[in-house]
Amino acid sequence: MLMDHSHATGVKQTATRNSTARRQVALYIARRFGVYLFTLWAAITVAFFIFRAIPGDPMMIMFGQLSRAQGNLSAEEAEAIIQVYRAQFGLDEPLTTQYVVFRGLDLGPAFVAYPTSTRDLIMRHMPWTLGLFTTTVLLAWVIGTAIGVVLAWLHRRRATNVAILTATILQITPVYLVALGLIIYVGFKFRWLPVSGPYDAHLQPAWTWEFISSLLRHAMLPMIANLLVIGAGFTLGMRALMISILGEDYLHYARAKGLSSFTILKDYGFRNALIPQVAGLAIVLGTTLNGMFIIEVLFQYPGIGTLFVQAMGLRDFNVMQGVVLFSIFAVLTLTFIVDLALPLLDPRIKTVK
Amino acid sequence: MKNPKLISGIILLVLLVGVAVFGPVLAQRALFADENPLGRGEFRPFQLPSPEHPLGTDGDGRDGLMVFLSSMLPSFVIGFIAGLVATSLGVLIGFTAGYSTGRLDTLFRIGIDMVLVIPTLPLLLILAVYIDRWNLGRLALILGIFSWPFSARVIRAQVQSLRERRYIDLARLSGANTAEIIFLEILPALLPYIAFFLSAGMVGAMLAEAGLLFIGLGGSGLPTLGFMIAKGLREGVIGVGLLGQMFLPAATLILTFLALNLIGLGLDEIFNPRLRTTVEER
Repeated sequence: MLMDHSHATGVKQTATRNSTARRQVALYIARRFGVYLFTLWAAITVAFFIFRAIPGDPMMIMFGQLSRAQGNLSAEEAEAIIQVYRAQFGLDEPLTTQYVVFRGLDLGPAFVAYPTSTRDLIMRHMPWTLGLFTTTVLLAWVIGTAIGVVLAWLHRRRATNVAILTATILQITPVYLVALGLIIYVGFKFRWLPVSGPYDAHLQPAWTWEFISSLLRHAMLPMIANLLVIGAGFTLGMRALMISILGEDYLHYARAKGLSSFTILKDYGFRNALIPQVAGLAIVLGTTLNGMFIIEVLFQYPGIGTLFVQAMGLRDFNVMQGVVLFSIFAVLTLTFIVDLALPLLDPRIKTVK
Repeated sequence: MKNPKLISGIILLVLLVGVAVFGPVLAQRALFADENPLGRGEFRPFQLPSPEHPLGTDGDGRDGLMVFLSSMLPSFVIGFIAGLVATSLGVLIGFTAGYSTGRLDTLFRIGIDMVLVIPTLPLLLILAVYIDRWNLGRLALILGIFSWPFSARVIRAQVQSLRERRYIDLARLSGANTAEIIFLEILPALLPYIAFFLSAGMVGAMLAEAGLLFIGLGGSGLPTLGFMIAKGLREGVIGVGLLGQMFLPAATLILTFLALNLIGLGLDEIFNPRLRTTVEER
């Protein structure tokens, strides 16, 4: 009886602890989601007002280009055309209406591909950017973390120092210079891989091996360029985390207990370094999108970076702000997803304080 | 202070700045006694490297070596001003945030995190479109204004931890006012961080500047290393066999980043005791 009783209490305690833990995680997610929504709103608002604060009337700039292309127009004709465009692009509305429309994600018509709406245009270009970007960053993270662990484990060796030096140099090299080197050597000199476009020009998107292999081959170089730079960053970060953890006192104790160095590395070093390393992933997401835009332009990859540069050439106000808006949305959402994964990894968040 | 990373970083940086400052003058004396090697159309364009033109000539008929040497200083100046602006803003905002409490502190934290995730390149590009005339100072200022959040974030955290320390309490009890505490007690403790962010900010600004030129802001016309690389790319100098005109500016940028990075790492090792113990252990 006594045994049963204490057992029941134990079960009950575990159950309470579980539900408390669950409530804590739910609270964390709810709070994080609130911060996400607020940040999204605030960032979009800031972006909106930055756009509106730009000196000069976008319509005038656009019209100046148009009239150069079209030849002479009388003053009245010009004024009429400007009015039509202004109405079309919603720029005659008061600032508050523009703001509401802006937030309503109805981004108005795009000038680069006129009848198409900006939203459709961005949606069409988005998969290329997101596909390449997320695959590259995730791959870089996995590979970089793995190499970082190995380098921390094998420290004090000559080969390790060479690897660290290589990673340091790669990490500080601008990604576009790496891309440039790859284009020059791998692309033009040895002609191993294609350097421009998303797939061979004569192909149509289809579920055929020919198309898919062409797609993959074209994605290789932009991906490798980013992988080298971002992966080197993750490698060094993980190595530093592991080294500082491996110097902690509790690891001397683990070693004194006679645990194998693999167990120490796996259960004591890796698990503890993993949490800040995942948090690092969230930060990198935001900062590497910039480099991604340049990579897209260099490789003529049809993502939103390329779209942005095209829009810039035509002073396409709607598309430019649409791209900025979308990048903010993408970065914040990806960061949010990474943050949601953190409590799954952190044992401290699961236990009751 | 015997940190090999810090020392080699400083030596490398001093060498690079030395070349940037004295290189153009010396090269002018040695190679072009009574010519203007930077005048457009001074020489036949796209000449291959020769004793007179060690890097050949560029598409505008200027001497490649002289263009390269005289591009270094503007790049460094942009990096330095932008790094200074970013770090000052970061310190200012970091201190304000670190000294505020409660709801205001939450607001600051969210604000800093928010600016941190806004992708800066598109915004810079838009500004580049709408600002007609660029000059060095303006470009540096804009680059700096966009890159303070990272330093602000770290400095906020540091200030918050420092102001709870015993020695700050002691200073307060002995009658120091807030300004004295900030400038005499907290700021000196943060100097290594500030130096670290200054070097990181310089790298960031030079990186962004060259990146901007790469994808469109070619018209800024500022003679920087990034401009030289972008121009070489547009003119296809590699195809004509003038590899050096792209390789040298690219290598210089990478070396500069390496030097600044080594300085940052060295400072980190000296002033971050956790890192130091493990480093000595090895």
